[in-house]
Amino acid sequence: MRAGIWTAGAVAIVVLATGVMTLAPANSQAKKEAPLVTDGDAAARPWKRYNGWPARDYSKFNTLANLASPPAPKEPRKIAGPIEGDAKKGAQLVADRNRGGSCLACHVMGPAGGANLPGNVAPDLSEIGNAGREDEWLFNYVYDGRVYNPETVMPPWGTHGLFTDDEIKDIVAFLKTLKAPAVFKTALDNPDKRAAPVEKRENLDPLENPGMWTVDKAQELWKQAGSKGAACVTCHATPETQFKSWAASMPKWEPRVGKVLGVEEFVTRHAKATTGADWLMETDDNRAMSVYLHFLANGEPIKVDVASAGAKAAWERGKELSARKVGQLNFACTDCHGISANKWIRGQWLGEPKGQYDHFPTWRTSLQAVWDIRQRFQWCSVNIRGDELPPDAKEYGDIELYLASQNEGLKLSVPGIRH
Amino acid sequence: MADAPKIRVPKTAKKGEIVEIKTLMPHIMESGQRKDKDGKTIPRKIINKFVAEFNGKPLFSADMDPAIAANPYLQFSAKVNESGTFKFTWTDDDGTVTTSEQKIEVA
Amino acid sequence: MQQLSRRSALALGAAGAALSLIGISSTAQATPESAAADVAKFAGGKTPVAGKISIELPEIAENGNTVPLTISVDAPMTDDDYVTDVLVLADGNPNPGVATFHFTPLSGKAEASTRIRLAATQNIVVTAKTSKGAVYTASKLVKVTIGGCGG
Repeated sequence: MRAGIWTAGAVAIVVLATGVMTLAPANSQAKKEAPLVTDGDAAARPWKRYNGWPARDYSKFNTLANLASPPAPKEPRKIAGPIEGDAKKGAQLVADRNRGGSCLACHVMGPAGGANLPGNVAPDLSEIGNAGREDEWLFNYVYDGRVYNPETVMPPWGTHGLFTDDEIKDIVAFLKTLKAPAVFKTALDNPDKRAAPVEKRENLDPLENPGMWTVDKAQELWKQAGSKGAACVTCHATPETQFKSWAASMPKWEPRVGKVLGVEEFVTRHAKATTGADWLMETDDNRAMSVYLHFLANGEPIKVDVASAGAKAAWERGKELSARKVGQLNFACTDCHGISANKWIRGQWLGEPKGQYDHFPTWRTSLQAVWDIRQRFQWCSVNIRGDELPPDAKEYGDIELYLASQNEGLKLSVPGIRH
Repeated sequence: MADAPKIRVPKTAKKGEIVEIKTLMPHIMESGQRKDKDGKTIPRKIINKFVAEFNGKPLFSADMDPAIAANPYLQFSAKVNESGTFKFTWTDDDGTVTTSEQKIEVA
Repeated sequence: MQQLSRRSALALGAAGAALSLIGISSTAQATPESAAADVAKFAGGKTPVAGKISIELPEIAENGNTVPLTISVDAPMTDDDYVTDVLVLADGNPNPGVATFHFTPLSGKAEASTRIRLAATQNIVVTAKTSKGAVYTASKLVKVTIGGCGG
């Protein structure tokens, strides 16, 4: 039996034995299991944030791997006397996109920011000045709304240091001036009337989607021999049939590595074990292979294993992590893509989890680049002012599995095309 | 060729038919308005001209500015009265000229 | 042929995020006046007449990096009456110029599509000249969306 397994594993196993990384021990299932390098990292270490992403340090706040954010206050702060802030400064602050997107990301606020494409995730505050709220209440709600509503998704602007006390006083002064419904220049500016975006571009047309060009590139890589002399094509001569549905079953709990592997990390570990290719995650070669392998499974409904013990535990962790508050803005995945889904943050539509996976890796028109799902997770973290994890982090694996399960039944259409 | 232009022209048409032509040239279209990490302006490098001819006669052309998006895409039409060859030419700021041809059968 | 390989073009695209997402500066802005001056120069002394031109653009562009644009001019496109040149301007970009299209009777239709860069919400101004010396103009507002989480 054992000898037979080794024969079946032939090329890869023999070569690997000489490698630095260890190969998973052969067991009774090994015949069906693809060789993987099971130790070491599948992405660059130390992980370095991408060029051009905000370089701010968010280490004082939660990440998906670490709890660090300051605790929520238990009591509202006492504010002596009426607040006399500068309403004009407050009007600028609520529209300041350098402070976490501005209040307009979620609230309509009368004339603030010219009522230019405000969002509607949170209540319209255009008439808050008539609501009879006390200054202390307004101050504390902005400072840290959790003292009044523990379930709020509003960032704790004061506790997390996004605005100073004086700035919050200016904002309160401005809020008190808001006494009339917002006047919108066009219907598009009114988030309640703005039509939800419809994605109808031909994403598989290379004249529409440059992401498709990576398919050609991957087909070249497929034939390219790695340091061990073998190429993908050595074992996978007919990828069109061999990978007709594989990507739709990913990500997958992988007991040999002790985490959930998506297509990208699987490619890194499998290629290293078989051809010797160094296709680390978030490199052009890895992205191209991921696009291609997903592309081959286009039209196949997503169906991932969440039933086996390891997968179920990962799914549970993913569900829990997706509700964890992260970053300076203190958002969980579920804040934006659950509670606030199908609404506008400023001029951007917040999608629900279903529909956020079937098109990855996707071409991003705003960046002129292909992004895989892990880079998307990383950007979400950094965008809400939290530190991202390396793309091969086990936490991302858990979340990817949970997300994929919410997309079950949707047919892959990769590469997608999105803003 | 990896960076070849992408062109879509019908292979056949009826005499007098107006056909649709799509062209895309892979190119970064560096606008000359961006700065690098050190604050230095990245020099402009764009495809500034596209010319389409049919059987040697001018059909359509475009002068392009940096406000044309990366991978310049142009869609236009042609009235075809005879079989022949479309010739497409892209000119880069640095003088590079790329050409491509496509045939059409007109019945 | 000296060109970026597709691979390096893609890589540059990704690195581009480092610099400016849109690729054109959103600080220096053209003014509607400078666009008007360009139109006047193009029109060569004639006063453009409103009409005959249709401009297709998304009402709200998901970003300013690659906004699909189609322009068409209602014209017979015969040998003696056809649209010769169409000037496309964006009056809120650092420089208003976008493209000039040149048609011939062989074009069959005076219609062209491309993808453009827009630094912000602004007007697209299209002016067309015909072989008979007529000059038409039209403009359309396009809103460039604003993202949620900011900088």
